[in-house]
Amino acid sequence: MTLSGLEGPRAAGLVRHGGSVIVLGAVLTLWWFASHFGWVSKVFLPTPEAAVGSLLSGMSSTGGLGEDTWLTVQRMLIGWLIASLLGVGIGAVVGMSRRARVYVQPMLEFIRPLPASAVMPFAISAFGLNPSMVLFVVAFGAVWPVMLATAHGMASVEPQLKEVAAAMELGKPAFIWKIGLPNAAPDILAGMRLSLTVALIVSIVGEMLASQAGLGRAVLLAARSFQSSELFAGVVLIGAIGFASNLCLAAAERRLVRWKTI
Amino acid sequence: MTPAPADPCIELQDVAITYGDRQVLSPTSFSVGSGEFVCIVGPSGCGKTTLLRAAAGLAKPSAGQVRRHGKPVMRPSLEIGFVFQDYSRALLPWRTVEGNINLALEAAKTPPGDRPRAVNRVLQTVGLVDDAQKFPSQLSGGMQQRVQIARCIAQRPEILMMDEPFGALDALTKHTLQDELARLTADTGLTVLFVTHDLEEAIYLGDRVIALRANPRPGRPSLARMIDVRLERPRDQLTTREDPRFLDLRRELFALIEQPDA
Amino acid sequence: MRSVFGVLKGLVLPLVLLLLLELATRTVLVHSDTIVSPIVAMGTLFKMFRDGAIWRMTGFTLATSGLGLTLAAVLAVPSGIALGLSARAAAASFLTIEVLRPLPSIALAPLALIVFGFGLRMEVSIIAFACFWPILVLSQAAVRQVEPRLLEVGLALRFNAWDRAVKIILPSIVPRLFVALRLSVAIALVVAVTIEVAMNPNGMGYGLVSAQQTLDPASMMAWLIWIAVVGYLLNAMASALQRRIDRTVRVAP
Repeated sequence: MTLSGLEGPRAAGLVRHGGSVIVLGAVLTLWWFASHFGWVSKVFLPTPEAAVGSLLSGMSSTGGLGEDTWLTVQRMLIGWLIASLLGVGIGAVVGMSRRARVYVQPMLEFIRPLPASAVMPFAISAFGLNPSMVLFVVAFGAVWPVMLATAHGMASVEPQLKEVAAAMELGKPAFIWKIGLPNAAPDILAGMRLSLTVALIVSIVGEMLASQAGLGRAVLLAARSFQSSELFAGVVLIGAIGFASNLCLAAAERRLVRWKTI
Repeated sequence: MTPAPADPCIELQDVAITYGDRQVLSPTSFSVGSGEFVCIVGPSGCGKTTLLRAAAGLAKPSAGQVRRHGKPVMRPSLEIGFVFQDYSRALLPWRTVEGNINLALEAAKTPPGDRPRAVNRVLQTVGLVDDAQKFPSQLSGGMQQRVQIARCIAQRPEILMMDEPFGALDALTKHTLQDELARLTADTGLTVLFVTHDLEEAIYLGDRVIALRANPRPGRPSLARMIDVRLERPRDQLTTREDPRFLDLRRELFALIEQPDA
Repeated sequence: MRSVFGVLKGLVLPLVLLLLLELATRTVLVHSDTIVSPIVAMGTLFKMFRDGAIWRMTGFTLATSGLGLTLAAVLAVPSGIALGLSARAAAASFLTIEVLRPLPSIALAPLALIVFGFGLRMEVSIIAFACFWPILVLSQAAVRQVEPRLLEVGLALRFNAWDRAVKIILPSIVPRLFVALRLSVAIALVVAVTIEVAMNPNGMGYGLVSAQQTLDPASMMAWLIWIAVVGYLLNAMASALQRRIDRTVRVAP
């Protein structure tokens, strides 16, 4: 027996996505029950309505969440852009020269596992508790994924293309711009996506640690005053920033690297 | 045999190639006159590819000298168009056909305003005008090789050097491209130095065929023979290949190259 | 395999930088609150080794990382395998996963703070959350990439679902699981230190923060060096283990 109008592959697709929605709905329903029936204390788990209410009122003109969101996003983006420019520049130089790689790569491998947040106390000591300090650490943390990705992408240029460039008398700068960087583009974009995640995290940590205005501080303050619905609202917004920025970058990646998937 | 041309386009004097302590090519000399189509044949390991690359300035000979119009060839030049055997690795996958040809124009510093016309002209020569916006991965092997040839012609070179350009193609495509190349070079008066392992192809295309031996020894140099091909042009895949003179040449060359102690 | 020369060349740049730093701290930066001479920092580090607190704190960080990672793996590997085996389950859980996955673990740390207070459990829970998603996704992908022929062999041999899982699927995905492990070790350590720096007064990150708050740049640098060394060693061990597993599984007939 089939529902009229829902047959064949369209039905399968609908059922598949419908199932996903149903599961999510079930999770939300569970949340509703857990909070309303006190299975989990309201101090930790607000009711869904309370969370939404806090979110809406926070985003309104009287609430501070809109401002906080904007500050965090700003921090994240600016730090990320600086890091991307630096990372691509340095990565291109390192990636182009095999000799440079031999000297530089081991040090990079040592720095890579280091959490960016570990640099924050130094930055606080050197620059004090202010937005520039946080921005510095954001950029510092976000530089490595882009740099490493760029170096890798540049180093993996097809050897034949180097000969093609030589046969056409293309100078080094022309080679980097026309061949090296486009070849590295998929890697660079993937690195930038990772960098953006790092930038968001370090922004939040910076706001928490250095008490700078933003979603990080908002969430920490909400926790300290046991305002669970405010906390949830802040977490949702942070998650939304992460989700949206990732989505945008993934779309940009697909657009710019069209040729890879043909 | 015709005497060496008065002002040779390319002249090789005692060019030898050694890998470690193994001499792959014993000192070899010949010259190529303007407008000549010279084919180099030989079994694998005879050093023909390395010889071609030395002639183009992409490799340095272990001994001897390559001269172009009397001046030593030390590095590649835009005057020499080099067509690589592996076309898929010689084209930029992220640029369209038009973009790939533009690369040569950019290298030749053609004014941007003149480029579309130059691209069109060259695409018409190889019959790919309708595919200008396609990416290399969307093209067949034969078409990709045509793009590479087109890119080389866009450089407006004096001489075309081709390293087994049709080696990876099926017989039908090969024959089509052979005829296209013959027509193209006849129309433009391009000088061609063409390396192949296919004896028949060498005779079919060339004004002169240079046969090389592998594993040279004292008393048995690499250069086995230089043969003039006095078949009329334009040549035809069916009639020329059945011409008794063609078959004679084929027999002669076959014997030269195959005999271990000739 | 790096040659001896390669290793030496790799040390040139760091040594030059350290030398410059050493000179700088003896001249221009002599009164800095932030940087001290690398030699002094190393001396401080060795003193910290002797004093003993560093071991306890390092132990804390390693413990939370290990427990969080294990918790994540115990939950995520079976789930990932289940999602990999059942396209329907994968489709049904898609939205829920995509909504929860982008949440940065550090954002949830304050929630864990009010639930568990300062200490071990708070950190372990966040690390587990952070490591859960990559392990889930990689396990799922690993199952999807099992050679279909092998699964057909399993069906042809009339294996039941359990046998198929244990004899064919599990051995096939082991190499990829170790890749996930290697990745998660890095994530676990970074998240642990980050939480300790941001809010949890335990572990290596706290050592760093408290050194800064007591205006003790020597200890601060010592901690940084130590955190870098521990991170490097942990990652190197995880990599070596993963490569060893790779070789073993490839070599086995």
